[in-house]
Amino acid sequence: MVLAVRARNLRVGYVDEDENILWAVKGVSFEVNQGEVFCLVGESGCGKSTIGNTIIGILPPYAVTDGELHVFGKPVVRGNHRDYSGIRGRIVSYVPQNPGTSLNPYQTIGTQLYYVLNSVYGWDKKKSLEVAKKYLSLVELDPEETVDRYPHELSGGMQQRAAIAIALSTGAKIVVADEPTSALDAHLRLQLIKLLMKLKESESLTLVMITHDLVAAGKICDSVAVVYAGEILEKCSGSNVIVEPLHPYTQMLADAVPLLGFKRRLKSIPGEPPRPDEEVTGCVFAPRCHLAFEKCVEPPPHFKVYKGEVACWRYAGNAKQ
Amino acid sequence: MPNNNVIVSLRDVVAGYLTTGKGWRSLFKHVNVVLKNVNLRICDGERVTIIGESGSGKTTLLKVILGLLKPVRGEVKVLDKEIYKLPWGERVSVLRQVGYVPQDPYKALNPKLRVKTIISEPLEHMSIKPREIEERVYEVIKMVQLSNKVLDKYPNELSGGMMQRVLIARSIIHDPEILILDEPTSALDVSIQAQIIELINSIHKRLELAILAVTHDLGVAQYLSDRAIILYKGSIVEEGYIDEVITRPRHEYTNLLIASYQVFK
Repeated sequence: MVLAVRARNLRVGYVDEDENILWAVKGVSFEVNQGEVFCLVGESGCGKSTIGNTIIGILPPYAVTDGELHVFGKPVVRGNHRDYSGIRGRIVSYVPQNPGTSLNPYQTIGTQLYYVLNSVYGWDKKKSLEVAKKYLSLVELDPEETVDRYPHELSGGMQQRAAIAIALSTGAKIVVADEPTSALDAHLRLQLIKLLMKLKESESLTLVMITHDLVAAGKICDSVAVVYAGEILEKCSGSNVIVEPLHPYTQMLADAVPLLGFKRRLKSIPGEPPRPDEEVTGCVFAPRCHLAFEKCVEPPPHFKVYKGEVACWRYAGNAKQ
Repeated sequence: MPNNNVIVSLRDVVAGYLTTGKGWRSLFKHVNVVLKNVNLRICDGERVTIIGESGSGKTTLLKVILGLLKPVRGEVKVLDKEIYKLPWGERVSVLRQVGYVPQDPYKALNPKLRVKTIISEPLEHMSIKPREIEERVYEVIKMVQLSNKVLDKYPNELSGGMMQRVLIARSIIHDPEILILDEPTSALDVSIQAQIIELINSIHKRLELAILAVTHDLGVAQYLSDRAIILYKGSIVEEGYIDEVITRPRHEYTNLLIASYQVFK
């Protein structure tokens, strides 16, 4: 098994006007195997998109990093030094959240694919379009027709598929998808997930999915990391996250999803996640946790429980650290 | 008056947008029909959701009810008055009984105004004393479970869930008869979504108003409504109690919606 992504004690922060560093990601460690679907689940403002951006290498210049991040064995982040040459675009690529706003409205899909391929491989227009058509048919779009279309002429689902074609066209091995389905209708969502799963098999892709829907993540992912306030609270396999959630936060996320044809009281999580500038001592989730007890004022280490890993003091007794 | 408790009724409504064709056809304008023969009736204190994919005409239907888009044919009655046949001033006074929450909370709030001004804005054109307005603002802000501190903030200092609460507060401040929500939860996180659903239901209980919500998420509709209307390509293909629609769908589009949901969840 080849490790596609490995993060060790990764911290990412942003510098504000007063030169203070706000840490959005506060020390996360995770591993993604090649050919795996890895999900980052959490509420907005928890740092999951920042982790995604760090893997792709599109952090803004005012970002500060610490710790290590390796992509296929190559260190891309080491301390505050970032080097994505040969990785960004060629090996790691990105599917944006909202294709309607991230595709260029002035250019046809074919031109946009040409610019990507030209900047990465330096191919001319003829060769680029040939490759572009191959990838457009791979995402189940009509290649001859779509090449000459502008983004506004395509429907939302088609735009998202065009964006996936652009992401794959450089032969990327890792695709980071930032909430790829949140802008789509329910039945298009299913189509898109099926397409991504098919591409994962046929192109042996590694998928890093960012989502806030825990139940959908549990259905499609091989492994799930639950992110909260810049820390990973729980890591486990995809099926376990719905069947037996370990952390109280995971349990609450699962309870908040409405299920069809099975009416129960929706449990909402009281309050909101802490902002990055708030100082939290002890367990980050303790202020919102209904199971919190005296021990929770200290930061919990990661306990290995059964098949997963969880940062919660409730597992201190029956697990080894 | 007959049918005193019917708040909104649409009869054979055909609505669309004026467009021009390509080439020589651009000389003539024609109507691109979006809604085809829609019949709809919402009674007092009822919770109704309209379910449909994007492009099915959900938002157009809301525009017709809100008095923003005159239908080509058909009769639109809000509070027993045909709004498109009234002169403008009277139409406005009827539509003041309607509360509206727009689609995207991140775009719907004026970034230059403080939350207090945003919430009190609907009352400022109604010749109400400033002190009464202030009392009313504190009342609704309590109803949507926000603290008074929020009133002095600007929208960019709020989270998505708080923005949605501010929008709901603004839409109920003038005590409307019906509250119209356009995709109330689609821009929010799953955990915040549950909070907002709870809030809408508590407001419904407390103010006893009718609620018309638009969504593409059947799971959300299940919690937000008594009755569901499925809109597909501009016409209503199914209508009934939400539990019945989910357990015994009659139209194939409803079947497709339910099937795609079940594979997921």
